[in-house]
Amino acid sequence: MTLKNTLSKYLLAGIVIFALATGKSYAGGFPVRPGRISLSPSATYFFANKAWDADSHKGAFANNGKFSSWSYSLYSEVGLSRKFTLSVLAPYVINTFSTDLGTSKSSGFQDLEVGIRYYLANISYKYYFSLQGTAILPMYTNTALGYNQKGAELKLAFAGSGHLFGKNSFFILENGVREYFGYESVFQDRYNATYGLTLDKKFREQISLSVGGFYATSINKDFNVNPSASKNFAFNQVSLSYGHAFAKSLSLFLTGGTFITGRNTGAGSSFSASLNYRIDTK
Amino acid sequence: MLKNANKLLIIAFVLLTWCAALPAMAQETEKDPAENTGKSGGDDEVSTVLTINNKDGIFSSTASFSFEIKNTYDTNQEGSISYNITTENGQIVKTLSKPVNLGKKSTSKYDFEVPNLKTGFYKVNMMINVSDYDDTTRRAFGIRPEEIRSQYARPADFDQFWQTAKDELAKVKPNYKITEVPSMNTENRKVYEIEMKSLDNLTIRGYMTVPISKNKNKKFSVLLGLPGYQVKLYPIVGLDPDLVIITLNTRGQGTSRDVIHTERDAFISYRIEDKNKYVMRGVIMDCVRAVDFIYAQPNLRHDQILATGGSMGGYLSLALAGLDHRVTLCSAQNPIMSDIRNLVGTVEWPINDIKKYVLSKPGVTFNQVLNNLDYYDTKNFVTTIKCPTILGLGLLDPYVPPGNGYAVFNSMHGDKHLMVFKNLGHEVSQVYKDYEGRWMRDTFGLF
Repeated sequence: MTLKNTLSKYLLAGIVIFALATGKSYAGGFPVRPGRISLSPSATYFFANKAWDADSHKGAFANNGKFSSWSYSLYSEVGLSRKFTLSVLAPYVINTFSTDLGTSKSSGFQDLEVGIRYYLANISYKYYFSLQGTAILPMYTNTALGYNQKGAELKLAFAGSGHLFGKNSFFILENGVREYFGYESVFQDRYNATYGLTLDKKFREQISLSVGGFYATSINKDFNVNPSASKNFAFNQVSLSYGHAFAKSLSLFLTGGTFITGRNTGAGSSFSASLNYRIDTK
Repeated sequence: MLKNANKLLIIAFVLLTWCAALPAMAQETEKDPAENTGKSGGDDEVSTVLTINNKDGIFSSTASFSFEIKNTYDTNQEGSISYNITTENGQIVKTLSKPVNLGKKSTSKYDFEVPNLKTGFYKVNMMINVSDYDDTTRRAFGIRPEEIRSQYARPADFDQFWQTAKDELAKVKPNYKITEVPSMNTENRKVYEIEMKSLDNLTIRGYMTVPISKNKNKKFSVLLGLPGYQVKLYPIVGLDPDLVIITLNTRGQGTSRDVIHTERDAFISYRIEDKNKYVMRGVIMDCVRAVDFIYAQPNLRHDQILATGGSMGGYLSLALAGLDHRVTLCSAQNPIMSDIRNLVGTVEWPINDIKKYVLSKPGVTFNQVLNNLDYYDTKNFVTTIKCPTILGLGLLDPYVPPGNGYAVFNSMHGDKHLMVFKNLGHEVSQVYKDYEGRWMRDTFGLF
């Protein structure tokens, strides 16, 4: 009988976070223990002074423009049962856009995301399929912070664990389709692939490489330096994440990412730091 | 243009991830190549590998196997290879012999197919007899084993027989005792000796190891480990923070030999002439009592109990799960006493020990004993199992022939999973153990 719980060890504290300028993505392909509560406060800095135009030509912002944002968020997951997991994401953002002509700022809460993930199936109890439905509820009226529209997302995830080069490893593949309802409604496809390795035998150190992106369409094709407010754009980014577990219940993730291709959006880079704390109530 | 670039990138990402994921997804396989070697005084040797050409050694009609011979001698090896295929009880079904001339420092491979075989399991004996080497390699394969059924019926009063036993057990006050054994404690577990009264008022003992947790209200899932034949079980510790592990020494075994303390060989036959006094009746009730014990502990989850064991422990796990539906998961490896009447003429143990006992008891006949054993046959317990169950079998098992194991598996009606190890005997590989752990954790939600 192998009694070790490798699954949760692979993920340190169970959550992998990808910092994206237009909001965070939380990879959750694995089932969550019933009664487990995870809390993840995080801070992300995003900076862009270049952009891709509608034809994907890259160039500097006009008038020496620079866009930056600080985003703070709290993400929480609760294992409701063996099959169901509740997730909540509450982000707060401070955006700054400065040019030679002046500076504009906006700040406030963004979209509250409340999701239910259903553990669909597994292959040999190693590879897991899950489906998540998420409701998106704006907590603002200022359209510099987001679309100010309710939305819904459906996301399919496939995740698994194994060994590579003598190291424990895991992977997560996800694709979510999201629709914001209302005037100039936006359809988004958010996709991500992650591969991670545990660096030590005690499962304390972990690195992961992610490749993901957004593809958003709307009848409003205007360029917006703020990715949270842009409606018709696309980008791909790569990010590298390092995780360190201080204890079984407390981990730190540091993530750096940069956009590699894009259309009608800023060409930016981000850095994120996130703590993850988990408690088992059962 | 950019759309295409995006698509290409996405495809590349997915491919990359999949390529990276593939090693992680590679199925673990049984690492037990059937390799024999014969070395001369020097480094030269002839080595052989007999491979049944199916992962589980199972075919629908035509069996296929290969024999690979490696000759590292600097001379040719001349002689023959031959095989015979027999049924599980030794009846020859097919033989073949062919001359071989193995070139110096060469490898030769011979493929064989045997068509039109009837449902059942077969043994392959592959012989090689060449200039500097001779040897026999044994393997087994099955043909449509899903069709295997025991031809022997379950006694009509089987359920009543065991209900009576449980009723008798219920009248025995358990008088549970839990005593910490500080000398056995580990960094993360406390070890307790447990003791309780069981059927016939016998005292049985075992161990319980409990993870040390800051959460004083934590309720633990339970692994109930049941013993192999005449095996003394000790506490199981380890690093797992989620499981309480109980190991039970049933009567006549380990630390529970106060009253019944037979010689090793005699235990299987102890009072076998009377189905109401046969030692296994009490042994199985000891297992039920262990579940009573679990139910009496407020810190244990009564809805998450895994009964597991190998050999006699596998037998007891299946018997317990069939009789006591408080067990929520069952894992049995190489369960003995499977389709007992079909063991006669097929295996030496336990049949020979039982026959020896019968001969020493005037007035007792082997047929009478077989009639009694119908109440103790694994296949007759499993029909009432309701919990998810996994079963592990080795195709070369000398005590649980695979045909008998399949008769048990095919008698189960619930959620069941079979893992077959074509190159193993009375054991399962780590692959089974790993699967068992993942399966248990998933079912109990211990992600």
